[in-house]
Amino acid sequence: MSVKKKFKGLSDKAVGWLFIGPTVLLLLAINIYPLVYAIKMSFTNFYANKIGREPQFVGLKNYIKVLNKEAIWEKMQVTASFMFWTLLLQAIIGLGLALLLNRKFKGNELLTTLIVLPMMLSPAVVGVFWTYLYNPQVGLFNYVVNFFYDLGSFDMIGSSILAPWAIVIVDTWMWTPFTMLICLAGLRSVPNYLYEAAEVDRASKWQQFIYITLPSVLPFLLLALLFRGIENFKMFDMVVELTSGGPGSATELASINLKREAFEKWKTGYSSAFAVILFVTIFGFGNVYVKVMNKIKER
Amino acid sequence: MKKIMILLFVSLFSFSVNSNAKSITLGWAAWDPANALQELTKEFTAETGIEVNFEFVPWPNFADRMLNELNNKGKTFDLLIGDSQWIGAGAVYGHYVKLNDFFDKEGISMSDFSPATVYAYSTWPKGSKNYYALPAMGDALAWAYRKDWFDRPELKSEFKKKHGYDLGVPANWNQLHDMCKFFQGREIDGQKRYGAAINTERGSEGITMGVTAAMYAWGMEYENPNKPYDMEGYFNSPQAVEAVEFYRKLYEDCAPPGHSDAYMVANLDAYKSGQVAFQMNWYAFWPGVSKEDSDGRVSGFFANPKQNVAAATLGGQGISVVKYSDKQDLALEYIKWFARPDVQQKWWDLGGYSCHNDVLNSPSFPTSTVYAQGFLDSMGIVKDFWQEPTFVELMLPMQEAIHDYVVNGKGTAKGALDKIIAEWVEVFEADGKL
Repeated sequence: MSVKKKFKGLSDKAVGWLFIGPTVLLLLAINIYPLVYAIKMSFTNFYANKIGREPQFVGLKNYIKVLNKEAIWEKMQVTASFMFWTLLLQAIIGLGLALLLNRKFKGNELLTTLIVLPMMLSPAVVGVFWTYLYNPQVGLFNYVVNFFYDLGSFDMIGSSILAPWAIVIVDTWMWTPFTMLICLAGLRSVPNYLYEAAEVDRASKWQQFIYITLPSVLPFLLLALLFRGIENFKMFDMVVELTSGGPGSATELASINLKREAFEKWKTGYSSAFAVILFVTIFGFGNVYVKVMNKIKER
Repeated sequence: MKKIMILLFVSLFSFSVNSNAKSITLGWAAWDPANALQELTKEFTAETGIEVNFEFVPWPNFADRMLNELNNKGKTFDLLIGDSQWIGAGAVYGHYVKLNDFFDKEGISMSDFSPATVYAYSTWPKGSKNYYALPAMGDALAWAYRKDWFDRPELKSEFKKKHGYDLGVPANWNQLHDMCKFFQGREIDGQKRYGAAINTERGSEGITMGVTAAMYAWGMEYENPNKPYDMEGYFNSPQAVEAVEFYRKLYEDCAPPGHSDAYMVANLDAYKSGQVAFQMNWYAFWPGVSKEDSDGRVSGFFANPKQNVAAATLGGQGISVVKYSDKQDLALEYIKWFARPDVQQKWWDLGGYSCHNDVLNSPSFPTSTVYAQGFLDSMGIVKDFWQEPTFVELMLPMQEAIHDYVVNGKGTAKGALDKIIAEWVEVFEADGKL
């Protein structure tokens, strides 16, 4: 029996549901159900490792505990700082590289391929090999820095001042190509006649950049930063491999702390509340951001 | 064709049933002793026909992997060689099979094993007669040093002139610091060398295992011996504070650059590459270190130096039968075989650390290897971290606070210990112990 015959008699809507049904079921099973379950758990004192101990309803106690815990705010500050600097650097460098690669020159394709290589690597692998690059005795990073300016021996991942910068540098190195690619797509969609008209109007290169290039590429850049922002808010693997959240807790991002509370301390109820707070935070920010982005697009 | 398919299916099915019936899986950490055990186990398979599959997990993921398996009532492992600190959780949450009846039936006596190892690896509640594991791998934190450098006359005389005593095995932590500092930044054979590779790892248990080696030697107690879980004035006693301050001094003055997140492998690497004069590490690694001495490197080994008291951080593991295993009978057969004195002797000969008295009390034992006497000394003075079911919750705040103070240089030692106590009180309260 042909597919056509099989579906004969079904309305378009029914066929549509047939196609999206499995995806919806999958989403319900692996996204929505765990979310609802986590919300439920967040109101209990459940410990997943304490077999036989029934969870008890504790109301908003876990939420109050999370929000009143000084250490949680420290982790949130570390996360905010990490996000701010990585997004800023990736926006500036990514846009700069996109502008560079938007020009025609020999070796353009090869250079583009080389630049995007870091983002094809596994974050855990990147974390591991950057620990070697940052090694004060044999690391290339320290050698290069000392080549230009003699700072002597310094430990990027052993110092609470330098370690936050160490993770910012690695994330920027790895993910700037992503911002660059999205910006490049934006740049290539700008019609040439706009620049030709600007030339006729005797607009300078700077004016062309400010009034044509930047407004055209901005929605693309904002989209790239939205993706990077969400990713970096839940950054885990690279930082764990690089610093384990140390020294002390200098690079312990909210997601690392959440993992430790949930799957090492097994404070399931408490960590569910923390996870819900993180979810609401990123969901709220994401929504506001998308609204702002749409307004910019509409302009 | 149909018949052939049925035959094929039946034969495949019977093969899988067969192989399942005569095989067990043993989980442990991926390190040198695990390879020795794999070698030793060939004899068990030859004797009994039971295949033993091994799953060795790298140390940084060992606890996560195994404890998740137990918490999920997983059937992957029939036997588990778990860390000493897990015994509380194994017993209380019912992950491990209680072995008393089996020991009685098979005539396995715990008095045949070193008392310190039985206490640490087998019993819960501590010191009771409830056994959940057979002592499998004795271990303690100890030190290796570059004996070849120590024997150089010019270094010996320079050291003696400077400190007034001989360069050799340090009698206490002050001498250890003197010696480490003596080598820090010193050029030997055209290369810059450093003092000591000590535990500073943040992620799992590294810095806690390291700093407690000092704290125990200063006489730290976790709690009031007469009032369990009363930690104030014990865990943060002036002696404990002094020990933590000393550990930071040792890190600042004597660790090689970049040694800020180092544990077993990093310490071994620093030592084997000739960077350091001393390394802190577990006895489990000494057979490998000793065997790999080359290019003029001669290693010496010694037990954790005393300060106010003689003490050492306990490592090592017991072997337990997993409650969720469908092959408990085969797993118990393995334990019965492993407990035999002749097997225990072979275990030591292959590089494992037997806890059996017949092996340890043998007249030839102290001289059987260069680290055997140190091992004997250490096992008499070992102290362990909390073995409570909540030990991970107790470990994490200690890792963070100690790393913050020792490596990050933040705050004070007293502040770090107070912070740890506050977190521990919360854990014990949640567990209904306080």
